Amino acid sequence: MRAGSVTTAVERRSASRASRLYLFALPATLLFVVFIAYPIVWVAGQSFYAGTADRGTVFAGLANYTTVLSDPTFWTVVRNMFLWGIITIPVQMLIGGLLAYFIERHTHALRGFFRTMFFLPVVTSVSVISLVWVQIYAPYYGIAQEYLKHIGIVMMTSPIGDPKTAIYALIVVNIWQWTGFSMLMYIAGIANLPNEVLDAARIDGARGWRLAVHVIVPMLAPATKSLLLLGVIGTLQTFPIVHLMTGGGPNRASEVFGTFIFKQSFVLGDTGSGAALSVIVLVIALVLSLIQIAVLGARLSPAGKQDP
Amino acid sequence: MMAPLVRNRIRGMVIHAVLFIVLGFWMVPQVYMLSIGLRTPAQAFDAQLFTWPVTFDNFVTVISDNPLGLIFLNSLIITVATVAIVVAVSSLFAFACAILRLKGSIFLYTTLLTTLMVPLASMVLPLAILLKNFGWVNTYIGLILPYAALGVPFAMVILKSFMEDAPRELFEAARVDGCNAWQTYWHVALPLVRPALVFVTIWQFIVTWNEFFLALIVLTRSEMKTLTIVPMQYSGLYMANPGALFAILTLIALPLILLYVLVQRAFVRGLLAGAVKG
Repeated sequence: MRAGSVTTAVERRSASRASRLYLFALPATLLFVVFIAYPIVWVAGQSFYAGTADRGTVFAGLANYTTVLSDPTFWTVVRNMFLWGIITIPVQMLIGGLLAYFIERHTHALRGFFRTMFFLPVVTSVSVISLVWVQIYAPYYGIAQEYLKHIGIVMMTSPIGDPKTAIYALIVVNIWQWTGFSMLMYIAGIANLPNEVLDAARIDGARGWRLAVHVIVPMLAPATKSLLLLGVIGTLQTFPIVHLMTGGGPNRASEVFGTFIFKQSFVLGDTGSGAALSVIVLVIALVLSLIQIAVLGARLSPAGKQDP
Repeated sequence: MMAPLVRNRIRGMVIHAVLFIVLGFWMVPQVYMLSIGLRTPAQAFDAQLFTWPVTFDNFVTVISDNPLGLIFLNSLIITVATVAIVVAVSSLFAFACAILRLKGSIFLYTTLLTTLMVPLASMVLPLAILLKNFGWVNTYIGLILPYAALGVPFAMVILKSFMEDAPRELFEAARVDGCNAWQTYWHVALPLVRPALVFVTIWQFIVTWNEFFLALIVLTRSEMKTLTIVPMQYSGLYMANPGALFAILTLIALPLILLYVLVQRAFVRGLLAGAVKG
């Protein structure tokens, strides 16, 4: 409404109609406020309080943060999360991208079949997957030790039972489960490549491998950026595979943020340090996302859609 | 020198062969699961991918011994309700941003988008306390609403971008014809973005059905548990009987796999129509 104008009945009615349009935005906003924003504000506040013997809380300043940061497990978690992201994300992109390329450009009748089959691990319950892989890795009766010895790899123990190898063994499972997702993102990218550009490149003599590396890979950059953004968040929220396969062990060697928060908050009941950890994870996620958005120009959308 | 046609045929065959070999390795965990489920107790601990003969006894036992139908129903109720809320709420919001272009809606949109940068791991503690205060532990609603809140931003991005790509004249025509905002949403916007709605529905279904972390914390009573969190229970129960354990794991994994196979065509179509633009 214009300032200084006399409010007439007509204007009032149209103003109320305009404000009624905000009902379209209301449910989403309410869900966000109650279940995302409020919990975040609450956990941030709670991270400055410590529990007392009589089940009350007392202001503790940064004590929870210093406790968490001086815990050696925290630094194991940081190292594991770094390894997780730095291995999982590029390997999934590479395998997923190769699968997508060959499926989209070189299969016809079986295209739907391959797309579906490689995606199945994504839709298979993660708890089922975890228990199956525990069995695969098992000493004596697991198939990994049985078949790998034929190619010269002898495993005396389960790879998830050894503190040195546990995190890598879990990373393998994670890569296996989520590569189909990377593949599908690249399939969407390849299918939407403009034919004129591909034809022009072909006329210029780019074929096969050269066409793939110099033309297709750069044009898939939006999909790659989306996968990077999703990969970082996915890494930080890793939980079920680790919780179910090693519980963060042996000797806390495969602990990740998810299992660490779970233990502090729900097993030990230490809400203060659980809250501090939650805030730390949140801050890491925000900082890493914003860096990516600033440096790569990745849009904060899983769609990775570019403006026309 | 080979004719290009022959060379293409050979290359196609080699690529197919390689894809099948890779797929063979890729399917080992699922094949192994089914294979153990089909074993007799004597073969259960054999370190082999395949054994012979096969038996369906394990499946008969676990089906008759466990309330799988009830657990399936829990998963179904939570998932269907979440999907319905996410699709309704996010399409309304996308409509407000893309078509109505309400003042301040872009600010709201950007704010809601930050949810995509929030890892669930940092939300479980505050959500658990919130749900406890609401008295929503061990209730369907205690999972449905947080899942919906976490799912809306992704769906909203996709639906908004589809609505923006739709021809604006259609919305103008609807306005000229005297449609109010609600009628335009229902009769014009939703039908226009149908592939995106299908895509969002399927994706949200998969994500909700398989969610583990929050379900583990919110659902502690056994009659409330979903298919995703019961496997741990069974791994203890059937520790000495892998045949039964893997039979039940197969049954737990099966519904979503079958569903995906049924809808994958529509899912990929939505994806290729630009739900995820490369």
